[in-house]
Amino acid sequence: MKQSRIWSWIILIIGIFYFFLPLFSVFEFSMRMVKDKYTFQAYIVAFSDKAFYENFGFSMLWAILTIIVSLALIVPTAYWVHLRLRRIKPLIELITLMPFVVPAVVLSFGLIRLYGKPPLVLTSSPLLLIVGYVTLSMPYMYRAVDTGLRAIDVGTLTEAAQSLGAGWATILFRVIFPNLRVAILSGVFLTFAIVMGEFTFASLLVWPAFGPYMEEIGAMRAYTPQALSVVSFALTWISIGLLQRIGRGAPGQGQIAGTR
Amino acid sequence: MSERERLPRISRRDFLKLAGMGGMAAYLAGCAPAATQAPPAAEDLLSSGNSIPMDKLLPAAQGEGTLTTIALPHDWANYGEMIETYKSKFNMKVNELNPDAGSSDELEAIKANKDSKGPQAPDVIDIGVGHTVTAMNEGLLAPYKVADWDTIGDDVKDPNGYWWAEYYGVLTFEVSKPAIENTPQDWEDLLKPEYKGKVAMAGDVLKSNESVMTVLASGLSRSGGDIEKAPEMGLQFWKEMNDAGNFIPVIADQGKIAQGETPLTIEWDYLSLANRDALAGNPEIEIVVPQTGVVAGPYAGGISAYAPHPYAARLWWEFVMSDEGQLLYLKGYAHPIRFNDMVKRGVVPQDMLDKLPPAAAYEKAVFPTTQQLQDIKTYITENWRKVVFGEG
Amino acid sequence: MSRTSGLEPRLSEGDAPPARPQSKSFDWAWIGVTPFLIYAIMFLFLPSASIFVRSFQGPDGGFTLQNFATLFSRTDIINAYKTSIGISVLTSVGGAVFGFLLAYAVVLGGLPRFLRPALLTFSGVASNFAGVPLAFAFIATMGNAGLVTRLIESWTGIDIHASGFTIYNMWGLSIVYMYFQFPLMVLIMAPALDGLRSEWREACENLGGTYSQFWRYIAFPILMPSILGTTILLFGNAFGAYATAYAFSGSFINLVTILIGAVIQGDVLYDPGLGNALALGMIFIMLLCMLGYAWSQRRAARWAK
Repeated sequence: MKQSRIWSWIILIIGIFYFFLPLFSVFEFSMRMVKDKYTFQAYIVAFSDKAFYENFGFSMLWAILTIIVSLALIVPTAYWVHLRLRRIKPLIELITLMPFVVPAVVLSFGLIRLYGKPPLVLTSSPLLLIVGYVTLSMPYMYRAVDTGLRAIDVGTLTEAAQSLGAGWATILFRVIFPNLRVAILSGVFLTFAIVMGEFTFASLLVWPAFGPYMEEIGAMRAYTPQALSVVSFALTWISIGLLQRIGRGAPGQGQIAGTR
Repeated sequence: MSERERLPRISRRDFLKLAGMGGMAAYLAGCAPAATQAPPAAEDLLSSGNSIPMDKLLPAAQGEGTLTTIALPHDWANYGEMIETYKSKFNMKVNELNPDAGSSDELEAIKANKDSKGPQAPDVIDIGVGHTVTAMNEGLLAPYKVADWDTIGDDVKDPNGYWWAEYYGVLTFEVSKPAIENTPQDWEDLLKPEYKGKVAMAGDVLKSNESVMTVLASGLSRSGGDIEKAPEMGLQFWKEMNDAGNFIPVIADQGKIAQGETPLTIEWDYLSLANRDALAGNPEIEIVVPQTGVVAGPYAGGISAYAPHPYAARLWWEFVMSDEGQLLYLKGYAHPIRFNDMVKRGVVPQDMLDKLPPAAAYEKAVFPTTQQLQDIKTYITENWRKVVFGEG
Repeated sequence: MSRTSGLEPRLSEGDAPPARPQSKSFDWAWIGVTPFLIYAIMFLFLPSASIFVRSFQGPDGGFTLQNFATLFSRTDIINAYKTSIGISVLTSVGGAVFGFLLAYAVVLGGLPRFLRPALLTFSGVASNFAGVPLAFAFIATMGNAGLVTRLIESWTGIDIHASGFTIYNMWGLSIVYMYFQFPLMVLIMAPALDGLRSEWREACENLGGTYSQFWRYIAFPILMPSILGTTILLFGNAFGAYATAYAFSGSFINLVTILIGAVIQGDVLYDPGLGNALALGMIFIMLLCMLGYAWSQRRAARWAK
């Protein structure tokens, strides 16, 4: 075992190098805003831009809406399929993997062409954007919920609740959801991360989301976009860490898979 | 009663309810007031394409209250100040869509919002002159001749007023000191071994007007001003740049210039100068107009044929093409299209002139015609990969 | 009256209601998934179907197979597919190998316990860190003026770029891709490694097996479907990547996703028929991946609970 421990450390150290070196390079560059000195100037400037808060706020709002729609759509479906329609589970899984398969650029063009004309003009409200986001995050949300469902005995729980006289609403909200808390949370977090960083849809549909904002300042400025990417990385890591803490020990500790 | 007999009766009742609701909905829809027609006089005013006098235009625009723009980054030719001045001077709101959009994205935005008058539909656009051909072919523009129409050169506007050039710049070498010791003076200098791994373009050749012009300019230098041969020779030039390793296949931006990855970038003068100001010496930027192969890249303005705020759009153009607006461009280091006319009338402040590269450099600027631009764009984008990277 | 084989519910003739519930309950179950199916049809199938339809459209809108003919005849398109597949194979295999090693190190490798949640949470973030920030991070590290380049030069005086070494090719991009491939592998393999019951290890020892025999005859066969499945997932992940590749080198490295972008968003090269045909080719390859993934998952499920 001792030999394997040395190798484990070696692998870990290589991994740390690989992951942290690029982060450190960005950080080092972001500190160079004032010539020949290392200061936090870039961070101060980045956070004093009004547009930052506006775009961040917009995306947050849409992230929350996306999460609500996504949960409402996917959790009951996953639960139902798990409980009653096991046979079509592979079909549902295949459907949820479709957004993974079709490139985002193409999917968004398809959505615009189909739903940008009367009688279904959806392009003048953020509805289509939310539709796009829900679709993009579907694979991850479904996967998270599915992992959670696999870890708990859905059938027994449902039967027990039914035998105690619970109706479907009670079963869903007071028995199933709490047990899926961690799985749902991990899906929620993934969706949040995806929406906040999403660029393709928002820029094609021309909405002031955070993704296009980061792109714009990335193209037009130096130092501040790098400061922002360091901050967003740190914030996301802290958030997921908190989630990890909350969910420690609860059933259905699912994975946290990601995008490209 | 068996279950079966009960069911149909409930369904029938429900069915009647649904039918009733459906009927009501149809009736209400039919009763909806017809879309208000603009009074005939106003229609003529808009469709004639002639300049609308300010006393009529301003109240009409203020009645609309908002202008929707697209693809106007604040640091690009001083659009930031242009927009702010429009807002404060005329008491209007401006809804700014994606500043990062390229010319084709702007046309796409008009098309996607043809039938929706929502906040996603742009009123005014600013596109590369080469794209005006597409815009006209697809009927995306509405004609309008601003008050100062006649002072705009004939070769940079559409005779019927569908588009006109607003400003232009020339391509410059944006050199990062002290990373580059010897500043190149001309295109052929770029091939020198001392610039190995240092030269970059500021856009993607397959998508960006600026990069296509870069190839053209280098070709123009090689062909000695022969615009017919320029695209081919330009591609040849970049093939040599790539083979020698001088060309870095990366899209330069302010971040990469500051970081040092792209110490020699080829960009429009107004962008290079704006970068120089923004970076404020960290690093130091020197800007050079090449001695040969100077291409002017005008950008064309137009009004969307489906603009939700047609008057606000026309007010915008009256402002932008006026002396005041054109000087704002100059403040952003872009040459207003009416530059020569304004200089003749002595309206341009000397201190502004001093901030620009020497006027002599601009005398050699070549303005390709729209048709030439279209052909050049096609040739370069179709052959770029073939010639430079050797792919069939 | 006794029921027949139960295939058709016969409620007629005033019989008492049958003892068992009819297939009505099965109908209700389908209603449970109806919202989802409607959503999928409206916002997934229809737009995707439009890709399928439009790939057969010529510039004038008529039916044509020309787009597919172009797919196989233009060298730059073939090269795009080759490069895309090349990078995807490279990063999926490389990502799988090193990701597995990392997951092993942290789960079974005898390292301090706190490292496991640290690595997992970090992987969660890193697998989302893509696009412009990731591209810049690597340029800032290994590029011509990168941190590592400068450090090496100041320590050893060697300019690694002088000999023509550049990161702006398939290999450099692969290294960038690994940043989200490794974490994805870690995230999926860590629970799988966890699932290796210690009883199996003990049983193997009891029978006199060594550690490497345990791995060769027990652990790897059990894990192989998961490993294979995740590798396929990594392949798909790399194949569909667009933002990172574009931010890194624009259209200068020839990839299918970049080509689609240029053909759909550009205006000179604007050819929606071709763009859709390219996308269809991509989807076809991805579908093969998904089928492989589904197959491997079915094998893996044998060992679950």
